[in-house]
Amino acid sequence: MSTNPAVGTSGAAALEARAYRSVGLGRRLREFIEREWVFSWLILTPPLLFLLCFLGYPFFYGVYLSFFRREVAGSPTFVGFGNFVTLASDPIFWQSVGNTIKFTAAATVLKATGGLGMALVMNQNFRMKAITRALLLLPFIVPTVLSTVAWQWIYDPGLGLFNRLLVESGLATKGVSWLGNPTMAMISIIIVNTWRGLPFFGISILAGLQTIPVELHESATIDGASTWGRFRYVTLPSLLPVIFIVTTFSIILTFFDFQLVYVLTGGGPANSTHLMATYAYSLSVGVGQMGLGSAVALSMVPVLGLLLVLLTLYVRKD
Amino acid sequence: MKRPVQSRPGRRDFLKLTAGAAAIVGAPWIARKVEAKPTTIVFARESSYVKNFDEHFIKVMIPAYQKATGIKIDYQIQAAGGSAVPQLVSMVENKSGADLAWVQQEWLYRDALVDVSDIAEAVGKENGGWYDEIKLLSVDNGKWKSVPQANIGQLMVYRKDWFDEAGIKQFPETWDEFLEAGIKLKAKGHPFGMSMGHGFADNYSWLYPLLWSYGVTVMDKAGKKVALDTSETAKAVDYVRRLYKETCIEDCIGWLDPHNNKAFLTSQISCTNNAYSIMVSAKRDLPEMGKVIEHGLNPKGPNGQRYHALVPVTHGVFAYGPEPQAAKDFLRWTMDPKQFRPWIASGDMYFAPYLHAYDKIPEWDIEPRVKPYHKVLETGKLTSWPAPANRAHGTVINRWVVIDMFSKACLGAPTKTVIAEAVTQLKQIYG
Repeated sequence: MSTNPAVGTSGAAALEARAYRSVGLGRRLREFIEREWVFSWLILTPPLLFLLCFLGYPFFYGVYLSFFRREVAGSPTFVGFGNFVTLASDPIFWQSVGNTIKFTAAATVLKATGGLGMALVMNQNFRMKAITRALLLLPFIVPTVLSTVAWQWIYDPGLGLFNRLLVESGLATKGVSWLGNPTMAMISIIIVNTWRGLPFFGISILAGLQTIPVELHESATIDGASTWGRFRYVTLPSLLPVIFIVTTFSIILTFFDFQLVYVLTGGGPANSTHLMATYAYSLSVGVGQMGLGSAVALSMVPVLGLLLVLLTLYVRKD
Repeated sequence: MKRPVQSRPGRRDFLKLTAGAAAIVGAPWIARKVEAKPTTIVFARESSYVKNFDEHFIKVMIPAYQKATGIKIDYQIQAAGGSAVPQLVSMVENKSGADLAWVQQEWLYRDALVDVSDIAEAVGKENGGWYDEIKLLSVDNGKWKSVPQANIGQLMVYRKDWFDEAGIKQFPETWDEFLEAGIKLKAKGHPFGMSMGHGFADNYSWLYPLLWSYGVTVMDKAGKKVALDTSETAKAVDYVRRLYKETCIEDCIGWLDPHNNKAFLTSQISCTNNAYSIMVSAKRDLPEMGKVIEHGLNPKGPNGQRYHALVPVTHGVFAYGPEPQAAKDFLRWTMDPKQFRPWIASGDMYFAPYLHAYDKIPEWDIEPRVKPYHKVLETGKLTSWPAPANRAHGTVINRWVVIDMFSKACLGAPTKTVIAEAVTQLKQIYG
């Protein structure tokens, strides 16, 4: 510390000036950050980088691969649209496209209706409501591979829960072959997907339900609306935006489903449960044709792109 | 004043100076690197159904190798049941992960494997020679790309007590007798469970031998011409359809590899085609059942021949590893009888060596019911047989072309249609 008052004065002034400059700099930085476009980009940059690394890179690499004949450990040969031409004449590819559409449509309808029902029940007041809500999330939380192994047991022809219930209750004399028959195998994977995806719908719609003002229901009741009338003209219209968004997301997730089919049926019997995702995997990893497998995966993009456009338009309109 | 050009340090001089400095600083490190032995070798292998086999490797072989060479072996056990191939493909694509491995479906990535002819030839010479059939897999363009370790035998696994009850004292010798036996057993509530789904062993291990025993192969020897389109194929398809409808549990058409084990161990089926892992599990967990399990050879077909499908275990060294030679040295060491024989014995001969010197070793007498698995080597063929085991064959296997030909027929499709569909696919695949 300086003992000279003169020096001390000038030192204090310098310090003060530095502090002023530093405050000024800090303020200017804060003002810069607080500008809307700067702040937006600051917030957006980390997730964008994340998406670019973990979604963008694999996606564009997949697009690149789909134009090449590229085998595992081999060098790529440009084939243009050759892989897509090959797929156009591949009956298994078309079967997997059909299976994916059936699977996605059936599972989404079941999840949407079931989820709505689940949300309506969960919106009522009853004892242990909180714990019931938490338990309903279990299918969504348990890793798919683990829960699918449990479903293998549930579908077991002799010891499985479903067949035991059917036979013990007298509803059937012998159990159903859940995974040994093409139709039943498709139904079985739809059931598992629905079971797993129901909580996503239920919880999202429940959140939507809780935003509907009570006054609307009260007014409708005073006007003489029945329970069904209140649901039809108050609840459902208010929920439509939530249902639309959740359904769109669910379609995308269901369209890409892979794990449960891979574990439960491997795409069999006789390709009857092969989805586009399992077929793309089978071609890329099993057969080692990375280009062809990528072409299958890329074939899913137009459908999903269309859904994304619809979703964006809807959100903008809203 | 103009400065002389020579005295001005240019960019090139700077680079030279930097390179020189780097060389001086880096020289000791480079020298160390050249001299240094690797400290660890990563060996990836699918887990064995016989627990002792992996335990022997970990507790006896790894410490012994470390003691002898100072090199540690990092044994990466891959989960059984189909996850090994994706992991191997991923390793090859990323050029990382393991120095050597059980190279399942090696036709997918042979280019990434080093030549191990020196090891395979020396081991063959010292051990009575290799079974010829395995050379069709391990030798590519005249070079050994993998060293065969052993075969996992696949046979008919059946409940002796139930066969006895149905009056069948000997395991059927022909496919027709097998059908008759199945009809009797199904009538008594004990159906067969012959896997026909999208698995990787238990389906091929009886459907391919059955096809061969009807005198049919999928491709010709050169792998150029589709050989499946014959009247004998139609007979084989008709036979399998009948076998499925009259003897089998309905579910088996969609079974993956673990499903028949589960069905057998829960007494839902009386016979299936499998490795002897079912007996291993039964002896461990269900001793009563363990006593009544027997193994039968695949029946003979109309051509009077009996066949089995090989499920090979081969070890290969990845070319991209930091020290392929060190990995090769380790592989050579494992094949030395001093190590190899106790290792094989620890697995109760679940892994049958492709070396003739091991044909008559007393270890085969560990359990009389295991002995038939040695017969698999005598009549065993690769699923590509007689064609080369190449990428095209891998495509046939991984797209279940032949398996689905049979399963579609069992689901009601006409014989001609299923054969025509399979032939079309084969022509596309083989070009």
